This record gives sequence, structure tokens and C-alpha cells, in this order.
Amino acid sequence: MGSHLLTTASVGLEETAHAATEAVEFGTPGIVALVIFLIMFALVITEKIEKHITTLICGGAMMLFVFGFAMGWRFDMMWSVGNLESMTHLGFWYGHSDHGAGIDWATIIFLAGMMIMVEGMAKAGFFRWLCMTLAKLVKYKVLPIFLVFMIMSACLAMFIDSITVILFLAAVTIELAHLLKFNPVPMILSEIFCANLGGSATMCGDPPNIIIGSALNLSFFDFLSNTGLIAGVSLVFIVLYFFLCFRKEYKAAGKDIDVSAMPDPKSVITDMRGFFMSIGIFLIVVVLLVTHSMTMLSVATIGVIAAVITLLANLKGAKHILKLVDYKTLLFFVGLFIVVGGMQNTGVLKLIADAIAVICGDNLLLMVAIIIWVSGIASAFVDNIPFATIMVPIIETLSGGQTTTLHTLAYSLAMGTDIGGSATPIGASANVVGVSVASKAGYPIGWGRYCKYMAPATVIVMLISTGMVWLMFGLI
Amino acid sequence: MAQEQLIVSIGREFGSGGHLIAEMVAERFHLPLLDYNLLQEIAAGKNIDVSHLKKYDELPRRHFFHRSVKGHTSSPEVNIAQMQFDFIREKAAKGDSFVIVGRCAEHVLKGHDALVSLFINGDHDKKRERIMKLYNLNFEDAEALMQTTNRKRKNYHNFFCDTKWGDSRNYELCINASRIGYEETADICETYIRHRFPDLDIE
Repeated sequence: MGSHLLTTASVGLEETAHAATEAVEFGTPGIVALVIFLIMFALVITEKIEKHITTLICGGAMMLFVFGFAMGWRFDMMWSVGNLESMTHLGFWYGHSDHGAGIDWATIIFLAGMMIMVEGMAKAGFFRWLCMTLAKLVKYKVLPIFLVFMIMSACLAMFIDSITVILFLAAVTIELAHLLKFNPVPMILSEIFCANLGGSATMCGDPPNIIIGSALNLSFFDFLSNTGLIAGVSLVFIVLYFFLCFRKEYKAAGKDIDVSAMPDPKSVITDMRGFFMSIGIFLIVVVLLVTHSMTMLSVATIGVIAAVITLLANLKGAKHILKLVDYKTLLFFVGLFIVVGGMQNTGVLKLIADAIAVICGDNLLLMVAIIIWVSGIASAFVDNIPFATIMVPIIETLSGGQTTTLHTLAYSLAMGTDIGGSATPIGASANVVGVSVASKAGYPIGWGRYCKYMAPATVIVMLISTGMVWLMFGLI
Repeated sequence: MAQEQLIVSIGREFGSGGHLIAEMVAERFHLPLLDYNLLQEIAAGKNIDVSHLKKYDELPRRHFFHRSVKGHTSSPEVNIAQMQFDFIREKAAKGDSFVIVGRCAEHVLKGHDALVSLFINGDHDKKRERIMKLYNLNFEDAEALMQTTNRKRKNYHNFFCDTKWGDSRNYELCINASRIGYEETADICETYIRHRFPDLDIE
């Protein structure tokens, strides 16, 4: 079953794998690179300094101390890690390109484009309208709202970043909780989980997937037919799990409420023209993403298209939309890619890959389990973006240039990093935002309350993911 | 023009009698006292259960256990504190007069025309003695409780403020209540406030 799911997007994989294995042997520059990385990681966790400043400074340190002092001013490597040249190649915009080590500009441009599109949608009131419309469709009954919002969260997160999904969904949930008199915490928790699960289904759903897909030239459809399938099966189990956990609480809630007093979904649309435009743009982008392996348009090109049409459709508010773009996150990625590029070019990542290879030998079954569970557990406690970024070159090395093995490990990594983050309040950005929105509304969610329901759900999906990857790729 | 608003912020060491003095000051100026009841007011306004909020009151963010994303934090302690700070700011902006205990009020309302910031401390043994009596504790337990509570208050304050807890430069008046007594300390506070705002008219 597994091999035929692998589509054609393998051009350049052998070259990238070769580039990774060609890296310099581990030595003094590797030690310096590792120290810089560990300092960066510690600073990112402690949040003493803003994350983007941390990664940019550490990226600068990598250039200066590793490629400069330790390696004898290797300007060629500095240039290669900066990776600006990649944008001048046709393959960067159309077809496939060799990503190599360094800044993944395709990921950054795509993220920027999607941020602009999402800001345009939010400005027009799209998300609130969608939530209110669905609540009205189920006649404001709490248990159906609970189920519908979980599915909506997963579906939206397939195309839109999970932070935005949760930001709006959690706010509407609290609003409905006040009107219908129910406890919003279980609903917000289940929405968070489903957003992370939905994000794992597609290439653009979660930053680790964009990083993995862009670096390994995987298509939207590659993800949809692999991680998407796993996420779809998992969603059935997860909806059932949360239903069983909270059905008693929500079955009794929201009775004797006058539904005629509920707000009209249309009333939340701030700009009718912008509203229809944003739906149109969203649909165009979804079509472009789904078909990008056929149209050969790269994610960078789709990002640019999303941004340009959003700005053209909102000419008057374009400046405002551009101001709302999260430049800090984009800069965080730039710095992070430089640091990871430094680790890759100094043999650090090869060393880690070799260690994993020694543990697993030729046992791909074990390797898949290790990748899913180690990345899952790590992502529950540390930011999954740096983790996924360092793991991409590692799985390239582990695959030894074999496309099937590389894809198996890539989807394992995607599921591990995307799902593991759901287990704790700090594991993924959507969790932080959801918990924060709830706390600010007077419903604080501590570690105990969060993990009681989310950690078992995470384990369920990780087990399903492990089993399905084994099955899909013919390992059992 | 008469001074029509008065906000008294009182920082205090645990066991110093700062809360008692705040009650006295509030009574003398006929002002509402905001302390633990602040969360009750917030909860009533939001129609939520205050018991969920209380366990995070006046606590600092725990490092390594929380993360921030785009101005959002997973720390309930920080979110509850910010909620209180916003409430205090709104109340002050509305022109309300009140006495507030702790909650970084001297920092949150820094620069407000009606603010008088005070800090009450005390001698170590006197504070411990008061805690032993008040909470019916033995010597060791009172000492431990005092140290833990003061450490929490210090960490809470220093996390949210760019100034240090108990540093005299942050307050208009710092008094050691153990030396002169609680009533007398309240007298000094009252005198100071009346000198600070000679044309006070908050009735």
C-alpha cells in the first residue's frame, strides 16, 4: 500500500541527501556550532530575550565563530547558508529545487504570504462568521457545537495556521459559553487538539510540515495522502475520545436558553465586499495548494500569489494588513535556518544521524517508531520548529539516499512533531494561544487540567500514527 | 482645584501588618480596600467562578513550564495578573478612589496623579511572632511560611515590574511598622497623604 502512495516529487532528493552526507567531519567547528545551538535552544526556552532576536544573534554567531574563526573564513559556506541564490533559480518558483543547507526562503515566503491572506480574512470577519453560522446550524445546542467545532478546527487548520484558528475559535467558544452557560474549557482543549491534528494533515498546516515538505520537495498531495490519511483516521478516534470525556458535562448544558437572542452570524461581518473577496482568495489558494504538484507551482509562488491578490483586493487596507504580519516569526525562521545550516555543514547533524543509525541498524520499523516517539516527546516540551529543522537533514542522512525510506521517515517526523506538541500546554503555539485566551476570559488552565485530557489523546494518536506508518509503508 | 481622586497602593512584607494598616487607611479615608477581593470583583464582572482564579493570585510565572507566542502566554499566573492590572488601570482611569494591597499597583499606576505608594516592612522577629499568633503556628512553621510567602511576593513583583520589591526608591514612603505600632503607622500614612494632597476632597 505504501509505495504507491509515494508520488513523483523525488527530484533532487538524492542530491540533497548527498549534500548532507558530504558535510565536513565533526571537529572543533562542530563543537562550536553545537554550543551555539544549545545556547540558542536554552534562550528560546527561557524567553529571556525575544525568540527572533535570539535566533538572529545565534545565526550571526554561527557565521562569525564557525564559518569565520573556526573554519578559516569560509565565505563560500556563509553564502551557501544565506541561500539567497536559490531564489534566482527557476526551480525555486516553478518545478522542483534542491534546497541544500541554509535558509529555506521558500518556507519563509510561503508563511509570509499565508499570514497576509489570513489577516485579510480576519479583517473581514470570516472566522467569527463561520463559527457563528455553524453554531446557528446546530440550533445552539452545546453538544453538537462541541462536535462541530472540533471538526471545523481540524479542517481550518489544514489550510490556515493553527494559531489563527484557535485565536478565533476559542474567542467564539467563550462568547457562546457565556450566552449558553457552559464551561468552555473542555471545548477549547478539544479544539486545540483538533487544530494540531488538522495541521498535521497537510503540507501547509503546521510549520514543521512546511519545513519538511519544502526541504524534501514533497507536494501538498503527498502530505494529504499520507499524513492526511493518518490524521483523518485519528480524528475519528479523537472526536470519540473527547465526546466520551465530556458528553455528560455538555449534554445537560445550554438548556432553557432563548436562541432567538443569539447574535446573527451576518452581524459579525465587518466588510461584506472584503468578506466575499477573502473567501474567494482562500478558495483560490486551497486549489493552488491541492494542485501544486500538477501545476508545478512551488509553495513560494503560491505564497506570493496569496499575498498579492489579498493586497490587491484590500488596496485601502493593504498597509494595515502588512503591519499585522508577524515579522518576528519570519525573522525567527531566518536565524534558525542559519543555525541549523551551521550544524549541518559542520557534521553535527551527521553525528546524530549516525548515532540513530547505530541504534536502529537496518530496522526501518524501529527507526520509524523512534522518530515518531522521540520527536513526539521532544515536541511536547520544546518548540517543534527548531526540532523539525534539525531533524530534516538527519533523516536525509538516515535514508541513505533512498526515496522510500526518506518519505517514510519524513511522514513519521511530521506526525511526531505535529502531534507530540498537543500533550502539554507549551508543546505547540495553538496550545499557548488557546490556554491564554481561556485564562484571560477567567478560565485558567494549568498543567494538570490540560494534561489530564490532552496527554492520553496524544498517546492515542501517536499509537495510531506508528501503526499506520508501519502498515502504509509495508513494514508489518 | 480640589483633588477628587485618591489611590493608595500599599506593598507589604508578610507578617508586617501591612494589610491591617491598609484596612485602617481605607477606613480613615472612607475608601474601598482592594486585596483578595479584587479577583472576586473581576469574577463577578465576567460571571465566572472566583475559585478557579484564586490559586494563581500574586504568583510569578514559572520558568520552563510556560511559553509565549505572539503576546499570548500559557502561564495562568501571568494571565490572572494581567487581568488584575487591567482592572486596576480601568478603575483608576474611571476616577475611582481606593486603597490597594500588593498586586504591583505602585508600578501598574506609576505616574498617575492620584497615586500615593507606600511600603510597610517590619523586624524579622516581630513579623514571625505576629504570624505565629495569627495563624496559630509554631516557631519553625511560622519562619518557613514567612520566608516562602515573602519569596513568592518578591518573585511576583520583580517578574512584572522593572523595579525591585521593597526598594525604597520605588515608594513614596517606607515604614517599619514593628518599631512604632500599626495604629501609629496608619497615623503617619494618613498624615503623609493629607500633606501630599492638602486639598483632598473625595467625599
